[in-house]
This record gives sequence, C-alpha cells and structure tokens, in this order.
Amino acid sequence: MSALYDLKVRIEDKIKADGLDAVKVRGQIGLRTGRILALITPGTADDPAAVAKLKQAAKDLLNLN
Amino acid sequence: MKWNSIRTKVLAALASCLVLGVGGILALLQYSFARNSQALASDSVAGAQKLFQVLEARETSKMAAVSETLMIDPQVRDAFAAKDRSRLLDITAPLYTKLKAEGITNWMFHAPEPDMAVFLRLHNPSKFGDRLNRFMDKEVVRTHAMVTGNELAKAGFAVRILRPFYDSKGKLSGYVEFGEEIGRFIKEMKSQTGDDYGLLLSKKFVDRQFWADSNAVWKRRDNWDDNPSFVVADKTTPSDSIIQFQQELASVPNRGKVLERFKTGDSVFVRGIFPIYDAARNTVGAMFVVRDISAVYESMRKTQNLLVALIIVAMLLSTVLVLTLLNRLVFRRLEHIIDVATRVVGGDYESEIKISSDDEIGQFEHLFEQFRCVFVDLLSHLPEFQNKE
Repeated sequence: MSALYDLKVRIEDKIKADGLDAVKVRGQIGLRTGRILALITPGTADDPAAVAKLKQAAKDLLNLN
Repeated sequence: MKWNSIRTKVLAALASCLVLGVGGILALLQYSFARNSQALASDSVAGAQKLFQVLEARETSKMAAVSETLMIDPQVRDAFAAKDRSRLLDITAPLYTKLKAEGITNWMFHAPEPDMAVFLRLHNPSKFGDRLNRFMDKEVVRTHAMVTGNELAKAGFAVRILRPFYDSKGKLSGYVEFGEEIGRFIKEMKSQTGDDYGLLLSKKFVDRQFWADSNAVWKRRDNWDDNPSFVVADKTTPSDSIIQFQQELASVPNRGKVLERFKTGDSVFVRGIFPIYDAARNTVGAMFVVRDISAVYESMRKTQNLLVALIIVAMLLSTVLVLTLLNRLVFRRLEHIIDVATRVVGGDYESEIKISSDDEIGQFEHLFEQFRCVFVDLLSHLPEFQNKE
C-alpha cells in the first residue's frame, strides 16, 4: 500500500468517525490538493508533494495529524 | 470578514463615498458660509457708510437751515455786529438749549478775518478769544461761502458748518459755526441697523494733551495707549474687545474694507471698517462696523447637520441595497457553483448547477454546468470507476 492510499483511508475513517458530510469534505480536500480521493487506490504511486498536500489538507479540514 | 473579498471592497468603496460625501458637503457649506459672511460683512460696511453719509448730509442740512434762520434774526445780527458778547449770549442761549436737545452740541461765533478768534462759544461761554486756525476757518475766509465737513476740535470730532454772518447792511460781522458730535451718529446707526459701531480717530490728528483733557471733561477712561495708531472716540458696546484693527487708518480704502470673522462665546460676528474724512479730505478717522451673524451661522449649522444626517442615512440605505443586490445576483450564485463543484469533486456526480438567469453569472453557471458534465463523463471512462461499477 502506498502512503498516499494509507492517508486516504485515514481521512475516510475520520470523516466517518466525525459524522461529517463525506461528499463535501472529500470535495474540499480534492479542490485543495488537486486530486480526487476516489482515484487514489492501493496501486497509486507515492508522490512526496501530493502526500504533503494531502496531509496539510487533512490537518486543516479534519485536524488529522 | 475577509479583507480581500468583494463584499469588503464594495463596503470600503461605499464607506469612502460616505466620507467623501460628508466631507464634500461640510466643505461646500463652509465655503458657502464664508462667502455669505463675507457678503454680509461687505453689506454691513457699505450700508453703514451710506447711512453715515445720509446722517451727515441730514445734519449738515439741519445746521444750514438753523444758520439761515439765525441770519435773518435782527436781534442776533445786531448784537453780533455790535460785538456785544453778553447780549448775544442772552439772545442765543435759550435757542442753544433747544438745539442741543436736537444734537447740535457746538455753536460758535467767530470774529472776522484776519483775527478769526472765537467770539462766543455757546457750549462754553466762558471760553473765547482763542484762534482755532483749522482748515475750515481758512477755507471760509478764502471762499466767503458756507463750508461743511468733519473737523476735530477741542470739543471732539464733529460734523460742522461754518458760514459768513452779515449785518443788516450786508457787511461781514464774522462767522457762525454749528457742530454735531459724530459719536452721536453711531447710536442712531445702531438703532437703525442693529450692528455695533466704533468711531476711531487717528492719533496723527489728535493731540495727546487734548485727548487727556477731553476724557477728563467727559469723565471717560483715557484710552490713548490701548491702540498704537488710533484712539476709540466712541462706541456702541461697553467693551473695546470687538474693535480689532492693527493697521493705519489711512490704509483703509475709500469704499471700506471687510475684516475677519470671529467668534465670541456662541455668537459669530463679522467686522468691517470704512474711512472718515475731515473737511480737508484727510483720513482722520474710521468707523468700525461689527455685525452679529449668529443667526446665519446657526441656520448654516442646522442645514449642515441635516444634510450630513441625510447623506449618512442615504449612504447606509445604499450600502444595504447594494450589498443585498450583490448577494442575490452574484455571491449566492457563486457560492452555489462552488458548492456543486466541491460536491462533484467529492463524488456526488448528480449535483447540477441551476442556471437561474442569462446574465453574466448565468453564462458562467451555464459554462460551469457544461464543464461539470464533461468532467463527470471523463471520470466515468476511467478504469478506477469502471472497476468499481
């Protein structure tokens, strides 16, 4: 599993745990990072810049470290 | 509040308009008030000068008429021709009392030239024999016709007439002079206009000792040192504080001059000054005019406050209206587009942009909806999505 996918899973779990509007939050993260979360699969290659952007968005929007 | 949002920028622009509008109105009203007060001051000076000239002419005519009547009185004519001072005093003293009540304060008989000494002073009978040697004395001797004008003398600054006086045979007995204190005029001027006046005399034409003596006679404070170049001979207010003039009286132009506007307590005044000439056309004095323009000022302040309040209300209503319109026509629709875009990216491919109008934002909504369709169609062809399905 790539780090990018791992992060995506953590984000999805957090959204579920917090009972948030999943579509909205996913959209916000997607617009911030320039990536559609649904397109991140276990086989998606790791890109350090993309991982950093996703981490930052997760932190800002979900307070996820 | 976001500082870079359109709302904030529009609000800032409207606030700037409000400040500029209020500032502009205040400046305009201030300018208008300055012009009005200048016009009022100018009107006061011109009006006072005209009134002074009218009073001068009226009193000169009155004194000329009295002198005419006097010359046809055989008793007065004979007594003066005989140079019988006590008889002349007995005959004229009752009349002087009546004339004095009418404002004629000075009455003199002069011996003929070359002596031209004072033969009888009705206003000070014990004093006679002195020579005044004024411009009017020389002029009446030169012309042997009535001379009129303002002249400074021991008794004060007065408008005077001086004319030859003949006996029953047509021989010159001497001269008769009547005079009225100019200080009396300012009381009448005040009663007619409501303005305050001050009669100033140039120190160049007033003898220091004479001034001290006059003040002692009239039981007035010696104000010689109050001003560098002039003395205040008379005024309509108890205080000298309104009389502020630092220049030479000779510098006052013929048509008068508007001075400054000033405030005392809640009252606002404008000052002006016009010259007063003696018989030889020297600027011996000036009339200081002070008009209370508090009513005009108060009216201007009320108008100013009303306009400022109206502008603030109008601008606040405009702000509410503009922001409401912007909200309805732009912001709310942009927020809808952002919301749909977010949801589509988040996986809700069924969200659609509702095109509410064909205005500029409506065109953008239409464009974005087409873009969304292309985006969703593109996503549906990706293997990740096909695998899901």
